[in-house]
Amino acid sequence: MARSKEINTCLVCTNVDCASRGSKDLLESFKDQLGTAGSLIDVKPYLCFGACQDGPNIVLYPEGTWYMGVQQSDVDEIVAHMLGGEPVTRLTERVDPGLRDLILEILESGMIDL
Amino acid sequence: MERIVLTKNIADGPQTFDEYVAEGGYQALDRALAGSPQDVLNAVTESHLRGRGGAGFPTGQKWGFTASEEATPKYVVANGGEDEPGSQKDRVVMENAPHRLIEGVLLASYAIGASEAILYVNSQYSVAHQRLEEAIARAVDAGYLGKLGMSLRIHPAPQEYVAGEDTASLEVIEGRKPLPRVKPPFPVSKGLFGSPTIVNNVETFAYIPAIVAKGPEWFRSQGSEDNPGTMLFTLPANVRNPGVVELPIGTSLRELIEVHGGGLASGKGIKAVLPGGPSSGFLRGDDLDVAMDRQTLMERGSALGCGVLRIIEEGECIVEVADDIAQFFAREQCGQCPACTMETNTLAKITSQIRAGAGSPALLDQIPKLGAFAKGKGQCSLISMPIPPLTTAIRLFADDFTYHLEHHGCWAAAQS
Repeated sequence: MARSKEINTCLVCTNVDCASRGSKDLLESFKDQLGTAGSLIDVKPYLCFGACQDGPNIVLYPEGTWYMGVQQSDVDEIVAHMLGGEPVTRLTERVDPGLRDLILEILESGMIDL
Repeated sequence: MERIVLTKNIADGPQTFDEYVAEGGYQALDRALAGSPQDVLNAVTESHLRGRGGAGFPTGQKWGFTASEEATPKYVVANGGEDEPGSQKDRVVMENAPHRLIEGVLLASYAIGASEAILYVNSQYSVAHQRLEEAIARAVDAGYLGKLGMSLRIHPAPQEYVAGEDTASLEVIEGRKPLPRVKPPFPVSKGLFGSPTIVNNVETFAYIPAIVAKGPEWFRSQGSEDNPGTMLFTLPANVRNPGVVELPIGTSLRELIEVHGGGLASGKGIKAVLPGGPSSGFLRGDDLDVAMDRQTLMERGSALGCGVLRIIEEGECIVEVADDIAQFFAREQCGQCPACTMETNTLAKITSQIRAGAGSPALLDQIPKLGAFAKGKGQCSLISMPIPPLTTAIRLFADDFTYHLEHHGCWAAAQS
Protein backbone atom coordinates (compact mmCIF):
# COMPACT_ATOMS: atom_id res chain seq x y z
CA MET A 1 0.00 0.00 0.00
CA ALA A 2 1.34 3.41 -0.97
CA ARG A 3 1.76 5.46 2.16
CA SER A 4 1.39 9.16 2.67
CA LYS A 5 4.69 11.05 2.75
CA GLU A 6 3.28 13.37 5.37
CA ILE A 7 4.56 13.25 8.94
CA ASN A 8 2.27 14.92 11.43
CA THR A 9 2.94 12.79 14.50
CA CYS A 10 6.04 11.33 16.13
CA LEU A 11 5.08 8.44 18.42
CA VAL A 12 7.64 7.55 21.09
CA CYS A 13 7.13 4.34 23.05
CA THR A 14 7.30 5.09 26.77
CA ASN A 15 6.46 1.61 28.07
CA VAL A 16 8.75 -0.08 30.60
CA ASP A 17 11.60 -1.29 28.37
CA CYS A 18 11.83 1.74 26.11
CA ALA A 19 11.53 4.05 29.12
CA SER A 20 14.38 2.20 30.84
CA ARG A 21 16.51 2.98 27.78
CA GLY A 22 15.80 6.69 27.92
CA SER A 23 12.73 7.10 25.70
CA LYS A 24 11.16 9.74 27.93
CA ASP A 25 14.24 11.96 27.51
CA LEU A 26 14.09 11.29 23.77
CA LEU A 27 10.49 12.42 23.71
CA GLU A 28 11.48 15.72 25.36
CA SER A 29 14.40 16.17 22.96
CA PHE A 30 12.14 15.69 19.92
CA LYS A 31 9.64 18.18 21.35
CA ASP A 32 12.40 20.74 22.02
CA GLN A 33 14.04 20.44 18.62
CA LEU A 34 10.80 20.42 16.62
CA GLY A 35 9.52 23.33 18.68
CA THR A 36 12.71 25.32 18.07
CA ALA A 37 12.37 24.59 14.36
CA GLY A 38 8.78 25.87 14.44
CA SER A 39 7.40 22.50 13.32
CA LEU A 40 3.78 21.57 13.98
CA ILE A 41 4.61 17.83 14.24
CA ASP A 42 3.03 16.45 17.38
CA VAL A 43 5.33 14.37 19.63
CA LYS A 44 3.35 11.86 21.69
CA PRO A 45 4.04 8.93 24.00
CA TYR A 46 2.86 5.52 22.75
CA LEU A 47 1.87 2.44 24.78
CA CYS A 48 3.99 -0.27 23.07
CA PHE A 49 4.98 -1.29 19.56
CA GLY A 50 5.84 -4.89 20.48
CA ALA A 51 9.59 -4.68 19.86
CA CYS A 52 10.78 -3.97 23.40
CA GLN A 53 14.09 -5.78 22.89
CA ASP A 54 15.05 -3.27 20.17
CA GLY A 55 13.86 -0.09 21.87
CA PRO A 56 13.59 2.76 22.22
CA ASN A 57 11.13 2.62 19.34
CA ILE A 58 9.76 5.58 17.43
CA VAL A 59 7.15 5.60 14.65
CA LEU A 60 6.48 8.54 12.36
CA TYR A 61 2.83 8.79 11.36
CA PRO A 62 1.18 8.57 8.88
CA GLU A 63 4.34 8.31 6.77
CA GLY A 64 5.23 5.05 8.55
CA THR A 65 8.96 5.08 9.24
CA TRP A 66 9.84 3.01 12.34
CA TYR A 67 13.13 3.76 14.07
CA MET A 68 14.59 1.22 16.48
CA GLY A 69 17.28 1.54 19.14
CA VAL A 70 17.12 5.34 18.98
CA GLN A 71 19.76 7.19 21.01
CA GLN A 72 20.10 10.88 21.90
CA SER A 73 22.88 11.06 19.29
CA ASP A 74 20.33 10.10 16.59
CA VAL A 75 17.84 12.88 17.40
CA ASP A 76 19.33 15.52 15.05
CA GLU A 77 19.18 13.20 12.04
CA ILE A 78 15.65 11.97 12.82
CA VAL A 79 14.42 15.55 13.25
CA ALA A 80 16.02 16.40 9.89
CA HIS A 81 14.02 13.54 8.34
CA MET A 82 10.82 14.76 9.92
CA LEU A 83 11.50 18.23 8.50
CA GLY A 84 11.84 16.90 4.95
CA GLY A 85 15.28 15.26 4.87
CA GLU A 86 16.27 11.70 4.14
CA PRO A 87 15.32 8.74 6.40
CA VAL A 88 18.01 7.41 8.77
CA THR A 89 18.17 3.94 7.24
CA ARG A 90 20.62 2.43 9.75
CA LEU A 91 17.85 2.62 12.38
CA THR A 92 15.20 0.88 10.26
CA GLU A 93 16.98 -2.31 9.25
CA ARG A 94 15.72 -4.64 12.00
CA VAL A 95 12.06 -3.65 11.75
CA ASP A 96 9.64 -6.58 11.22
CA PRO A 97 7.52 -5.53 8.22
CA GLY A 98 4.49 -7.57 9.35
CA LEU A 99 4.51 -6.00 12.79
CA ARG A 100 4.98 -2.54 11.28
CA ASP A 101 1.98 -3.03 9.00
CA LEU A 102 -0.16 -4.19 11.93
CA ILE A 103 0.80 -1.18 14.06
CA LEU A 104 0.12 1.24 11.19
CA GLU A 105 -3.24 -0.41 10.47
CA ILE A 106 -4.23 -0.05 14.12
CA LEU A 107 -3.27 3.63 14.02
CA GLU A 108 -5.21 4.12 10.78
CA SER A 109 -8.25 2.42 12.32
CA GLY A 110 -8.60 5.39 14.56
CA MET A 111 -6.79 4.60 17.75
CA ILE A 112 -6.79 7.92 19.55
CA ASP A 113 -5.73 9.32 22.90
CA LEU A 114 -2.30 7.79 22.35
CA MET B 1 -23.97 -38.61 41.22
CA GLU B 2 -21.14 -39.38 43.57
CA ARG B 3 -18.90 -36.67 44.96
CA ILE B 4 -15.20 -37.52 44.97
CA VAL B 5 -13.48 -34.51 46.54
CA LEU B 6 -16.10 -32.84 48.72
CA THR B 7 -17.35 -36.01 50.41
CA LYS B 8 -18.20 -33.87 53.41
CA ASN B 9 -20.54 -30.94 52.84
CA ILE B 10 -18.66 -27.63 52.88
CA ALA B 11 -21.24 -26.25 55.32
CA ASP B 12 -20.34 -29.00 57.81
CA GLY B 13 -16.78 -27.74 58.13
CA PRO B 14 -13.40 -29.17 57.24
CA GLN B 15 -12.90 -32.91 57.17
CA THR B 16 -10.71 -34.02 60.08
CA PHE B 17 -7.95 -36.62 59.83
CA ASP B 18 -10.08 -39.16 61.72
CA GLU B 19 -13.09 -38.53 59.49
CA TYR B 20 -10.93 -38.94 56.40
CA VAL B 21 -9.45 -42.20 57.64
CA ALA B 22 -12.93 -43.44 58.66
CA GLU B 23 -14.17 -43.08 55.08
CA GLY B 24 -11.18 -44.99 53.72
CA GLY B 25 -8.59 -42.20 53.61
CA TYR B 26 -4.94 -43.27 53.24
CA GLN B 27 -5.99 -46.81 52.28
CA ALA B 28 -5.04 -45.98 48.69
CA LEU B 29 -1.55 -45.05 49.84
CA ASP B 30 -1.23 -48.18 51.98
CA ARG B 31 -2.26 -50.30 49.02
CA ALA B 32 0.03 -48.42 46.64
CA LEU B 33 3.02 -48.94 48.94
CA ALA B 34 2.33 -52.67 48.86
CA GLY B 35 2.44 -52.56 45.05
CA SER B 36 4.59 -50.53 42.70
CA PRO B 37 4.77 -46.89 41.56
CA GLN B 38 3.91 -48.12 38.08
CA ASP B 39 0.55 -49.38 39.37
CA VAL B 40 -0.34 -45.87 40.55
CA LEU B 41 0.84 -44.38 37.27
CA ASN B 42 -1.23 -46.89 35.31
CA ALA B 43 -4.35 -46.18 37.36
CA VAL B 44 -4.03 -42.40 36.85
CA THR B 45 -3.31 -42.81 33.13
CA GLU B 46 -6.23 -45.17 32.61
CA SER B 47 -8.56 -42.90 34.58
CA HIS B 48 -8.17 -40.29 31.79
CA LEU B 49 -8.10 -37.61 34.49
CA ARG B 50 -7.32 -34.19 33.07
CA GLY B 51 -5.69 -31.40 35.05
CA ARG B 52 -8.17 -29.09 36.75
CA GLY B 53 -6.09 -25.91 36.63
CA GLY B 54 -7.46 -24.78 33.29
CA ALA B 55 -5.38 -26.32 30.53
CA GLY B 56 -6.87 -29.80 30.93
CA PHE B 57 -3.71 -31.74 30.08
CA PRO B 58 -3.96 -35.52 30.73
CA THR B 59 -2.51 -36.02 34.21
CA GLY B 60 -1.21 -39.57 33.69
CA GLN B 61 0.65 -38.52 30.56
CA LYS B 62 2.32 -35.65 32.40
CA TRP B 63 3.35 -37.92 35.25
CA GLY B 64 4.63 -40.52 32.80
CA PHE B 65 7.07 -38.00 31.31
CA THR B 66 8.58 -37.23 34.71
CA ALA B 67 8.55 -40.88 35.87
CA SER B 68 10.60 -41.87 32.82
CA GLU B 69 13.27 -39.20 33.44
CA GLU B 70 16.47 -40.63 34.87
CA ALA B 71 17.67 -37.43 36.55
CA THR B 72 17.11 -37.04 40.29
CA PRO B 73 15.91 -35.59 42.57
CA LYS B 74 12.35 -35.25 41.31
CA TYR B 75 9.74 -32.88 42.64
CA VAL B 76 5.98 -32.57 42.94
CA VAL B 77 4.37 -29.14 43.12
CA ALA B 78 0.70 -28.75 44.06
CA ASN B 79 -0.40 -25.43 42.64
CA GLY B 80 -2.79 -23.64 44.97
CA GLY B 81 -1.93 -20.12 43.82
CA GLU B 82 -5.55 -19.62 42.69
CA ASP B 83 -5.39 -16.16 41.20
CA GLU B 84 -8.18 -16.76 38.68
CA PRO B 85 -10.64 -13.95 39.48
CA GLY B 86 -13.58 -15.29 41.47
CA SER B 87 -12.32 -18.85 41.79
CA GLN B 88 -12.57 -20.36 45.25
CA LYS B 89 -12.36 -24.07 44.56
CA ASP B 90 -8.66 -24.50 45.36
CA ARG B 91 -9.16 -22.73 48.67
CA VAL B 92 -12.07 -25.07 49.42
CA VAL B 93 -9.94 -28.14 48.61
CA MET B 94 -7.10 -26.92 50.82
CA GLU B 95 -9.33 -25.82 53.70
CA ASN B 96 -11.99 -28.54 53.64
CA ALA B 97 -10.24 -31.61 52.23
CA PRO B 98 -6.59 -31.12 53.26
CA HIS B 99 -5.91 -34.79 54.01
CA ARG B 100 -7.28 -35.91 50.65
CA LEU B 101 -5.06 -33.35 48.92
CA ILE B 102 -2.01 -34.54 50.84
CA GLU B 103 -2.71 -38.22 50.16
CA GLY B 104 -3.00 -37.32 46.47
CA VAL B 105 0.33 -35.47 46.58
CA LEU B 106 2.00 -38.41 48.35
CA LEU B 107 0.62 -40.86 45.77
CA ALA B 108 1.94 -38.63 42.98
CA SER B 109 5.35 -38.43 44.65
CA TYR B 110 5.43 -42.23 44.95
CA ALA B 111 4.32 -42.68 41.32
CA ILE B 112 7.09 -40.50 39.85
CA GLY B 113 9.75 -41.12 42.50
CA ALA B 114 9.82 -37.62 43.99
CA SER B 115 11.84 -36.92 47.11
CA GLU B 116 10.17 -33.63 47.89
CA ALA B 117 6.73 -32.13 47.37
CA ILE B 118 5.77 -28.51 47.77
CA LEU B 119 2.30 -27.11 48.35
CA TYR B 120 2.28 -23.72 46.63
CA VAL B 121 -0.47 -21.89 48.48
CA ASN B 122 -1.97 -18.43 47.84
CA SER B 123 -0.34 -16.20 50.45
CA GLN B 124 -3.71 -14.67 51.40
CA TYR B 125 -5.20 -18.05 52.33
CA SER B 126 -4.23 -18.08 56.02
CA VAL B 127 -6.80 -20.71 57.00
CA ALA B 128 -5.62 -23.03 54.23
CA HIS B 129 -2.01 -22.55 55.37
CA GLN B 130 -2.93 -23.49 58.92
CA ARG B 131 -5.03 -26.54 57.99
CA LEU B 132 -2.39 -27.83 55.59
CA GLU B 133 0.33 -27.44 58.23
CA GLU B 134 -1.81 -29.51 60.61
CA ALA B 135 -2.55 -32.09 57.91
CA ILE B 136 1.15 -32.40 57.04
CA ALA B 137 1.89 -32.97 60.74
CA ARG B 138 -0.71 -35.77 60.85
CA ALA B 139 0.78 -37.43 57.76
CA VAL B 140 4.24 -37.23 59.35
CA ASP B 141 2.92 -38.69 62.64
CA ALA B 142 1.19 -41.49 60.75
CA GLY B 143 4.58 -42.36 59.26
CA TYR B 144 3.69 -41.81 55.61
CA LEU B 145 6.45 -39.34 54.77
CA GLY B 146 8.97 -41.62 56.47
CA LYS B 147 7.81 -44.64 54.49
CA LEU B 148 8.15 -42.66 51.27
CA GLY B 149 11.49 -41.16 52.32
CA MET B 150 10.31 -37.73 51.30
CA SER B 151 9.58 -34.28 52.62
CA LEU B 152 6.53 -32.08 52.18
CA ARG B 153 6.34 -28.36 52.80
CA ILE B 154 4.29 -25.26 52.03
CA HIS B 155 5.54 -22.32 50.01
CA PRO B 156 3.48 -19.10 49.84
CA ALA B 157 2.34 -17.99 46.39
CA PRO B 158 2.27 -14.26 45.61
CA GLN B 159 -1.17 -12.93 44.75
CA GLU B 160 -0.54 -12.09 41.12
CA TYR B 161 -2.31 -13.64 38.15
CA VAL B 162 0.84 -14.82 36.41
CA ALA B 163 2.18 -16.42 39.63
CA GLY B 164 -0.22 -19.30 39.03
CA GLU B 165 1.50 -20.23 35.76
CA ASP B 166 3.36 -23.48 36.32
CA THR B 167 6.91 -22.30 35.58
CA ALA B 168 6.29 -19.01 37.40
CA SER B 169 5.45 -21.09 40.48
CA LEU B 170 8.84 -22.81 40.16
CA GLU B 171 10.59 -19.42 39.95
CA VAL B 172 8.84 -18.35 43.17
CA ILE B 173 9.77 -21.55 45.00
CA GLU B 174 13.37 -20.99 43.88
CA GLY B 175 13.21 -17.53 45.46
CA ARG B 176 12.67 -15.32 42.45
CA LYS B 177 9.86 -13.23 41.00
CA PRO B 178 6.86 -14.98 39.40
CA LEU B 179 7.99 -14.80 35.78
CA PRO B 180 7.09 -17.62 33.37
CA ARG B 181 10.07 -19.46 31.87
CA VAL B 182 10.84 -20.15 28.22
CA LYS B 183 9.46 -23.57 27.23
CA PRO B 184 10.79 -26.05 26.22
CA PRO B 185 12.32 -27.40 28.38
CA PHE B 186 9.09 -28.27 30.16
CA PRO B 187 8.98 -28.80 33.94
CA VAL B 188 8.39 -32.54 33.47
CA SER B 189 12.05 -32.82 32.39
CA LYS B 190 13.65 -29.63 33.76
CA GLY B 191 11.53 -28.06 36.45
CA LEU B 192 12.29 -27.08 40.02
CA PHE B 193 16.03 -26.45 40.46
CA GLY B 194 16.46 -27.92 36.96
CA SER B 195 15.10 -31.32 38.02
CA PRO B 196 12.14 -33.29 36.64
CA THR B 197 8.99 -31.88 38.24
CA ILE B 198 5.27 -32.31 37.94
CA VAL B 199 3.15 -29.25 38.62
CA ASN B 200 -0.56 -29.91 39.00
CA ASN B 201 -3.45 -27.91 40.33
CA VAL B 202 -4.43 -28.85 43.91
CA GLU B 203 -7.88 -30.03 42.79
CA THR B 204 -6.25 -32.50 40.40
CA PHE B 205 -4.40 -34.19 43.28
CA ALA B 206 -7.63 -34.48 45.26
CA TYR B 207 -9.02 -37.03 42.77
CA ILE B 208 -5.98 -39.33 42.99
CA PRO B 209 -6.75 -41.24 46.24
CA ALA B 210 -10.19 -42.31 44.96
CA ILE B 211 -8.82 -43.23 41.54
CA VAL B 212 -6.18 -45.46 43.15
CA ALA B 213 -8.60 -46.92 45.72
CA LYS B 214 -11.61 -47.52 43.47
CA GLY B 215 -9.95 -47.91 40.10
CA PRO B 216 -9.91 -46.00 36.82
CA GLU B 217 -13.11 -47.60 35.49
CA TRP B 218 -15.05 -46.36 38.47
CA PHE B 219 -13.66 -42.86 37.90
CA ARG B 220 -14.65 -42.94 34.23
CA SER B 221 -18.25 -43.81 35.12
CA GLN B 222 -18.95 -40.08 35.69
CA GLY B 223 -18.29 -37.15 33.41
CA SER B 224 -17.64 -37.40 29.69
CA GLU B 225 -15.55 -39.90 27.77
CA ASP B 226 -12.92 -37.32 26.87
CA ASN B 227 -12.96 -35.70 30.30
CA PRO B 228 -14.25 -38.03 33.00
CA GLY B 229 -15.00 -37.50 36.65
CA THR B 230 -16.47 -34.64 38.61
CA MET B 231 -15.24 -31.08 38.80
CA LEU B 232 -15.43 -28.24 41.27
CA PHE B 233 -17.31 -25.22 39.93
CA THR B 234 -17.35 -21.81 41.59
CA LEU B 235 -20.74 -20.12 41.42
CA PRO B 236 -20.57 -16.32 41.49
CA ALA B 237 -21.87 -13.89 44.08
CA ASN B 238 -24.94 -12.89 42.05
CA VAL B 239 -26.70 -16.29 42.34
CA ARG B 240 -28.83 -17.18 45.35
CA ASN B 241 -26.43 -19.90 46.50
CA PRO B 242 -22.92 -18.80 45.61
CA GLY B 243 -19.87 -20.91 46.33
CA VAL B 244 -18.22 -24.16 45.28
CA VAL B 245 -20.13 -27.22 44.05
CA GLU B 246 -18.87 -30.58 42.85
CA LEU B 247 -20.71 -31.97 39.83
CA PRO B 248 -20.01 -34.41 37.02
CA ILE B 249 -18.25 -32.87 34.05
CA GLY B 250 -20.85 -32.39 31.32
CA THR B 251 -23.55 -31.13 33.68
CA SER B 252 -25.55 -28.47 31.86
CA LEU B 253 -24.87 -24.83 32.57
CA ARG B 254 -28.60 -24.47 33.28
CA GLU B 255 -28.53 -27.10 36.03
CA LEU B 256 -25.42 -25.54 37.49
CA ILE B 257 -26.92 -22.06 37.66
CA GLU B 258 -30.61 -22.77 38.26
CA VAL B 259 -30.60 -25.92 40.41
CA HIS B 260 -27.34 -25.61 42.31
CA GLY B 261 -26.95 -21.82 42.23
CA GLY B 262 -30.68 -21.18 42.72
CA GLY B 263 -30.74 -18.70 39.82
CA LEU B 264 -29.90 -15.04 39.91
CA ALA B 265 -30.63 -13.38 43.25
CA SER B 266 -31.88 -10.28 41.42
CA GLY B 267 -34.53 -12.30 39.58
CA LYS B 268 -33.35 -10.75 36.31
CA GLY B 269 -32.68 -12.67 33.12
CA ILE B 270 -29.25 -13.97 32.23
CA LYS B 271 -27.66 -12.06 29.40
CA ALA B 272 -24.36 -13.91 29.13
CA VAL B 273 -22.07 -16.32 30.95
CA LEU B 274 -18.31 -16.63 31.07
CA PRO B 275 -18.17 -20.34 31.99
CA GLY B 276 -14.47 -20.71 32.72
CA GLY B 277 -12.97 -17.46 33.92
CA PRO B 278 -11.98 -14.23 32.14
CA SER B 279 -10.09 -16.06 29.38
CA SER B 280 -13.10 -18.11 28.31
CA GLY B 281 -15.40 -16.94 25.54
CA PHE B 282 -18.86 -15.57 26.33
CA LEU B 283 -21.94 -17.76 25.99
CA ARG B 284 -25.35 -16.23 25.35
CA GLY B 285 -27.99 -16.38 28.06
CA ASP B 286 -30.22 -18.43 25.73
CA ASP B 287 -27.53 -21.11 25.41
CA LEU B 288 -27.71 -22.45 28.97
CA ASP B 289 -28.32 -26.06 27.96
CA VAL B 290 -24.70 -26.39 26.91
CA ALA B 291 -22.78 -29.19 28.64
CA MET B 292 -20.00 -27.97 30.91
CA ASP B 293 -17.27 -29.95 29.17
CA ARG B 294 -14.08 -28.81 27.49
CA GLN B 295 -14.93 -30.14 24.03
CA THR B 296 -18.45 -28.67 23.91
CA LEU B 297 -17.28 -25.30 25.18
CA MET B 298 -14.28 -25.24 22.84
CA GLU B 299 -16.64 -25.75 19.89
CA ARG B 300 -18.40 -22.55 20.96
CA GLY B 301 -15.16 -20.60 21.16
CA SER B 302 -15.26 -20.78 24.95
CA ALA B 303 -13.50 -22.89 27.57
CA LEU B 304 -14.11 -24.92 30.70
CA GLY B 305 -11.03 -23.40 32.34
CA CYS B 306 -10.99 -23.95 36.07
CA GLY B 307 -14.78 -23.87 36.34
CA VAL B 308 -15.28 -20.37 37.71
CA LEU B 309 -18.50 -18.83 36.39
CA ARG B 310 -19.32 -15.21 35.82
CA ILE B 311 -22.94 -14.39 35.01
CA ILE B 312 -23.80 -11.14 33.27
CA GLU B 313 -27.36 -10.02 33.92
CA GLU B 314 -29.87 -8.37 31.61
CA GLY B 315 -29.25 -4.64 31.88
CA GLU B 316 -25.47 -4.97 31.96
CA CYS B 317 -23.41 -3.87 28.98
CA ILE B 318 -21.03 -6.42 27.44
CA VAL B 319 -18.73 -3.65 26.18
CA GLU B 320 -17.97 -2.73 29.77
CA VAL B 321 -17.42 -6.34 30.83
CA ALA B 322 -15.15 -6.94 27.83
CA ASP B 323 -13.17 -3.78 28.55
CA ASP B 324 -12.70 -4.81 32.19
CA ILE B 325 -11.29 -8.14 30.97
CA ALA B 326 -8.93 -6.44 28.50
CA GLN B 327 -7.71 -4.09 31.26
CA PHE B 328 -7.17 -7.08 33.55
CA PHE B 329 -4.84 -8.88 31.13
CA ALA B 330 -2.96 -5.68 30.24
CA ARG B 331 -2.39 -5.10 33.96
CA GLU B 332 -1.45 -8.68 34.82
CA GLN B 333 0.92 -9.47 31.92
CA CYS B 334 4.44 -9.71 33.28
CA GLY B 335 6.26 -7.64 30.65
CA GLN B 336 8.72 -10.31 29.55
CA CYS B 337 7.38 -10.89 26.04
CA PRO B 338 7.22 -7.85 23.71
CA ALA B 339 4.37 -9.29 21.63
CA CYS B 340 2.26 -9.81 24.77
CA THR B 341 2.99 -6.34 26.14
CA MET B 342 2.00 -4.78 22.82
CA GLU B 343 -1.04 -7.02 22.29
CA THR B 344 -2.57 -6.73 25.75
CA ASN B 345 -1.93 -2.98 26.01
CA THR B 346 -3.30 -2.31 22.53
CA LEU B 347 -6.41 -4.43 23.15
CA ALA B 348 -7.02 -2.58 26.39
CA LYS B 349 -6.64 0.76 24.62
CA ILE B 350 -9.07 -0.31 21.87
CA THR B 351 -11.73 -1.55 24.31
CA SER B 352 -11.44 1.48 26.57
CA GLN B 353 -11.81 3.72 23.55
CA ILE B 354 -14.92 1.87 22.37
CA ARG B 355 -16.30 1.87 25.92
CA ALA B 356 -15.87 5.64 25.96
CA GLY B 357 -17.80 5.78 22.68
CA ALA B 358 -14.91 7.02 20.57
CA GLY B 359 -13.98 4.55 17.90
CA SER B 360 -14.79 3.01 14.56
CA PRO B 361 -15.86 -0.46 13.42
CA ALA B 362 -12.42 -0.73 11.81
CA LEU B 363 -10.91 -0.58 15.29
CA LEU B 364 -12.93 -3.65 16.31
CA ASP B 365 -11.53 -5.49 13.29
CA GLN B 366 -8.04 -5.09 14.74
CA ILE B 367 -8.81 -7.38 17.69
CA PRO B 368 -8.63 -10.73 15.82
CA LYS B 369 -5.64 -9.44 13.85
CA LEU B 370 -3.82 -8.69 17.07
CA GLY B 371 -4.69 -12.17 18.29
CA ALA B 372 -3.38 -13.78 15.12
CA PHE B 373 -0.15 -11.78 15.32
CA ALA B 374 0.42 -12.63 18.97
CA LYS B 375 -0.34 -16.35 18.70
CA GLY B 376 2.61 -18.44 19.84
CA LYS B 377 4.77 -15.39 20.59
CA GLY B 378 4.56 -15.57 24.38
CA GLN B 379 6.39 -17.66 26.96
CA CYS B 380 3.09 -18.52 28.60
CA SER B 381 -0.54 -18.73 27.54
CA LEU B 382 -1.56 -15.29 28.87
CA ILE B 383 -0.86 -13.83 25.42
CA SER B 384 -3.77 -15.81 23.99
CA MET B 385 -6.18 -15.25 26.88
CA PRO B 386 -7.88 -11.92 26.04
CA ILE B 387 -8.86 -12.99 22.52
CA PRO B 388 -11.73 -15.50 23.16
CA PRO B 389 -13.72 -13.19 25.47
CA LEU B 390 -13.25 -10.19 23.18
CA THR B 391 -14.05 -11.95 19.89
CA THR B 392 -17.10 -13.76 21.32
CA ALA B 393 -18.32 -10.52 22.92
CA ILE B 394 -18.18 -8.75 19.55
CA ARG B 395 -19.79 -11.67 17.71
CA LEU B 396 -22.59 -12.47 20.17
CA PHE B 397 -23.34 -8.97 21.43
CA ALA B 398 -22.78 -6.84 18.33
CA ASP B 399 -25.64 -4.51 19.31
CA ASP B 400 -23.85 -3.36 22.46
CA PHE B 401 -20.73 -2.50 20.47
CA THR B 402 -22.70 -0.80 17.71
CA TYR B 403 -24.50 1.35 20.28
CA HIS B 404 -21.21 2.51 21.79
CA LEU B 405 -19.80 3.35 18.37
CA GLU B 406 -22.89 5.11 17.08
CA HIS B 407 -24.08 6.90 20.20
CA HIS B 408 -20.68 7.62 21.73
CA GLY B 409 -21.60 6.11 25.06
CA CYS B 410 -23.35 3.28 26.84
CA TRP B 411 -27.06 2.47 26.55
CA ALA B 412 -26.98 1.01 30.06
CA ALA B 413 -25.72 4.32 31.46
CA ALA B 414 -28.35 6.18 29.44
CA GLN B 415 -31.11 4.02 30.97
CA SER B 416 -30.06 4.37 34.58
